[in-house]
This record gives sequence, structure tokens and C-alpha cells, in this order.
Amino acid sequence: MLVKIKSIANVGLETVPVDVEVDVAEKGFPGFTIVGLASKAVEEARERVKTAIVNSNLDFPNKKITVNLAPADLPKDGAAYDLPIAIGVLLASGQLIAGDLNNSYFYGELSLDGTLRPTRGILLLGLFAQKKNPPKGEVKSSIFVPEMSANEAGVVEDITVYPVKTLKDLVEHLLETKLIEKLIYVPVEEVVDFSLADYEMAEIAGQEQAKRALIIAAAGGHNLLMWGPPGTGKTMLAKALPGILPPLSPPEALEVTRVYSVSGMLSPGQALVSRRPFRSPHHGVSAAGMIGGGSNPLPGEVSLAHLGVLFLDEMPEFPRAVLEGLRQPMEDGTVEIVRAAGHVKYPASFTMIAAINPCPCGYLNHPRRECKCTDKQIAKYKHRISGPILDRVDLFVQVSVVEAEKLSLTRPAGEVNRISSKEAKEKVMKARKIQEIRFKDRRIYTNSQMRNVDVKKYAFLTPETENILKLAADKFDLSARAYFRLIKVARTIADLEDSPTIQTSHMAEALQYRQVV
Amino acid sequence: MTLNPDMKTYNKITGNTGEDLACAELEKKGYQIITRNFSNKFGELDIICKKDGLLIFVEVKTKIGDYFGTPEEMVGRGKLQRVGNMATMYMNGKLLPCRIDVIAVVLNPDNSLLRLTHYENVY
Repeated sequence: MLVKIKSIANVGLETVPVDVEVDVAEKGFPGFTIVGLASKAVEEARERVKTAIVNSNLDFPNKKITVNLAPADLPKDGAAYDLPIAIGVLLASGQLIAGDLNNSYFYGELSLDGTLRPTRGILLLGLFAQKKNPPKGEVKSSIFVPEMSANEAGVVEDITVYPVKTLKDLVEHLLETKLIEKLIYVPVEEVVDFSLADYEMAEIAGQEQAKRALIIAAAGGHNLLMWGPPGTGKTMLAKALPGILPPLSPPEALEVTRVYSVSGMLSPGQALVSRRPFRSPHHGVSAAGMIGGGSNPLPGEVSLAHLGVLFLDEMPEFPRAVLEGLRQPMEDGTVEIVRAAGHVKYPASFTMIAAINPCPCGYLNHPRRECKCTDKQIAKYKHRISGPILDRVDLFVQVSVVEAEKLSLTRPAGEVNRISSKEAKEKVMKARKIQEIRFKDRRIYTNSQMRNVDVKKYAFLTPETENILKLAADKFDLSARAYFRLIKVARTIADLEDSPTIQTSHMAEALQYRQVV
Repeated sequence: MTLNPDMKTYNKITGNTGEDLACAELEKKGYQIITRNFSNKFGELDIICKKDGLLIFVEVKTKIGDYFGTPEEMVGRGKLQRVGNMATMYMNGKLLPCRIDVIAVVLNPDNSLLRLTHYENVY
């Protein structure tokens, strides 16, 4: 008998329907073959399915079994076809009689004892099933997925999610002897995490200018470069950033979770990526690790930092190829990976925060210590970061040496109150709210994502501001890109001040952050 | 580990019993047995027979009981490949119409027949 079970394949972030056709022939020499460009992991499904069926106290038919994964020209990878194959074998051998499975999708890896293991890409299956929902009034699409990963699909509305613990449970459910309880739909809003991060801004002594720049970067999603001698708090500042970033909005959370779901980085039971990503890859990272890659391309750090922050500590130590690879995603907000197996597009709209020392020894221009580097060494060090990368940085900020009195453990009486993460976050969220309203139907979230047309449309420069801008462009020889980036930063500063037009003071502050290293 | 010689002869007896039963079955079905246990240094063909001008190479697999798996499971891709190679050698380069069959025999512990299944054209 021949049966057809529905499942899916994920190619990058795109979902393709896959029909798992199982034939159990009455005649022919017993055997189990899988065809349809199956990878090693799919080929091995033979042994897993066979053993899982036997260990679930069911019969594995001693007949000629042929499995076809259609479409035949699409390479299939991963162990997620175990479940559809097992169900197909049971149906085709007549051990299982089920009703209409036309709107049901099966997806999951089996372990030898018949339990289902957490499988990646469940959210994408959920979204796909939602898209394939039959017209109103009919039965909704349902998906059968491993219990451990089922929460991922819990945030998808209008589909029925069945968390399956073991193959035996699923068989009983399909035979309608013991039903599996449906997963309850959880709106995305309820999952988003509002808690503060571990690093508190008020813990950092001094560095008021850097903190201000951090707030601007967080509010508008601008790229920031901090430079200064070792031990002044560059890393601490960057680590305080997640604490002032606004929580993910529901559509943003889904976007981020799709990337994490595909790369299998959601822990079992986790429904959503609830915090804005903060990635800080070590400088030993390879180009494929940063941009994404592999023979079956997986997202890299730039995509994992999508809608969040990519922190590059000790930026000049990164291999040149890795840094230069950032250029295209920084500009486009997406990254296209091309390999022999195919061509995949991942989102990569991130805020880059970089920290660098002024020279190899770190003490160039230090007020008290002497720099031990030769001119040649310094030139070589600076040469490691190319002009095009620096051109994409919106905010340059010097993190200078902290005065001893600001460090004292008991706070001096006269000190102005340090800004806390909570206050900073409120400011940032206010500015983001303004941007959200502004870009409601532009499919972007922040000022930094504006295209040049958007800049022209939303800048609202006063005549005096335009004048300053013109003077600055002439004097500093700004590139066209830097020119537009400058306006975007000024727009964010104006948003922080809740001003509909960009005033001269806003532009002046934006210009102040353009002092190139 | 070396198999003890008694075990070896015991397995031989089981195999021969199975092949005898298979031959009887084939003759009953109207096949004409040509050779049994054709062997050279590369391997062995259990039964070679003929029916309607078609040359048939038969691999017989015999097991006592099903506790260690069915005889069908013991005939894998590699084994069939070897049977195919042996068949080519038997035909000595000539291209004759032929096919490969497998006969699975399951015996009771007292060497009486429990099950015998004949699979035609498995290659």
C-alpha cells in the first residue's frame, strides 16, 4: 500500500513542502530504501525508524519498503523525517488506520526507544502550516512535533499544535484511543522578557560622553566605535548595552526566533528569543562563522545578532577577511551565502559596537603613561581597520582614562547622579516609539535602517541645520554615505529630545561623534 | 575468537539442510537443478537452476529460529553483489538471460522446517 505524509524542508529561512511517500509492497525481497536526495542523516533514519517502531511494541513489516522524499531534486538534510517515515510505514502496513491527514504535518527526530528528540526549525513549520491553512470554516492545519520543541510553535496563531512525546502516544492519538492534548496558543507579547540585564550602567565610573553615545546607538540602532587605553571601561560599557535596549516587539521577536530556530540555538522548551540578541564573538572567529556558511549554509554571528548588537571587542585583532566581510551586511541588512549546495539569504540587520585601543601598547596619548610603540607599529595597527569599515561607523567616541576621584568606592558628595540603566532605557524606548510610528508602513524599525529616500522624506532639517551640514560636508570631506549617516544620527538625537525637526544643536552633537580615530 | 570446530560443522549441517529443502521446493515448482555449491576462490553459488530458458542463481539463507533476526536481514547489499559477481564468473563472460533469487529458510531447533520463502528476482 502507498501512503503520502506531509512534512517540510527548511532551505535557509524558506520553507518548502516535502511529501514523504511510503510504499510497503506485498511482493519483493524485504528491504528498506530511502530515495530523494537524502543526506547521511536521512539515510540513517532507516535504523532509527526500524528500532523505534519495534521498541514501541509495534511490528516492523518484513517487506519491501520504499520511501520517496518528493520533490526529488531538493537535497534533504537532518533527522526530522524520522517521524513522517515511521508514521508512513505504520499506515502503509495497515497497523494504523487514520482519518484525513491532508492538513497534518509531521516533523521530528526519533530516538531508538521511540521517544521524540528536540528538533530544530519547528517555528518555521508552524508559520508554514499557518500559511497553508485551508479556507475559513474547515479544519485548521495541525502539526505533530516533538514535545520538547513544541513551544516554539506555540506562538503561532490559528494552527493546532500537538506536542508528541513518543511514537506510541502518536499512534494512540491517531487511532483515537487516547488523544494528545493540544498546545495552548500563547500570544508573543506574553513571552517577551522585560527584565534588566546583568550589567548596570550606573556601575561604570565617569565616561558620560560614552554613555550618551551608547544611548544614541541604542535608540537609533547606530554603529558605535569606542577607542581608549586598556581598562577604561570599553567592554563594561558594551556589556551594559543590552540593559538599555528596548524589549523586542512581537514581529521582531518572531524574526529573530526564526533565525535561532533554523540554527538550532533555542534550548528545548524555549518558545521565543525574548531578549534582544547580544553577540560578542571572539576575534578568532572564521569568516564562515561570522557571515554564515557550511556546505549546508547556517546563519553566522551577523545573522544571530539580527535586530540586536554585534560587539567586536579588540576589533583590530579580527582577521581582515572577517572584518571586510561585514561591509555588505552592514549596508544591506541581509547576507547572501552562496555555496555549491545552493544559495541562501539570511537577515543581518545589526548594530555594530566595536572597541579598539589607540595603539598596540594601548597608551598612545595617555595623560600620564608613556606609549612604547614606534610610529611604524602604530601606523600598522591603524591600518588593520580599513576606511570602508570606518566609513560605516556613525558614532566615534573616546573612552578616556578615569580620574581617580571618580573611582572611589564611596561616592563623593558633589557628584552628579550617574544615569542608571533604567532611566537610559526609558529614554531609548521613548525614541524608539517615535520611530515605530514614523516607519509604521516602511517595514523597518530604526533610523539607522532608513534608505536615502527615507532620509530625504523624514529628516525635516531646519534651514540653519542644513547650512551647518553643508559647511561640515565641505570641511571634513564627508563621503555621500557618511553624509546620510550623519543625518540619521541627528534624527535620532532629535527623537531623543522629542523634537519633530532636526535643530542645529542636534546636528552639532551628531558632528561631534564624527571625529575619526 | 576462533569458532570451535564443532560449531563450524554444525552450521554446515544447518546450511546443507536448508539447501536440500530449497532444492526440493524448486523441483516441486518445476525448476531444473543444474549445479549445487558451485565455488571458486571468490565465493560460492548455492544453487544454479533453469526454468523456461532462464538461468537462475539461488542464494539460500538458513536460520534456526528467529531469535537473532530473520534470514532475509542477513542477505544485504554486499552479499547480493557477491552473488552477482559469482554469476558473471559462472557464465564466463557470456550474456545469458538470468536472474537472482533468494530462498529464506527458517528451521525449528530439531532441524524440521518452520518456514520457507522464495523471493524471485531480487537483484
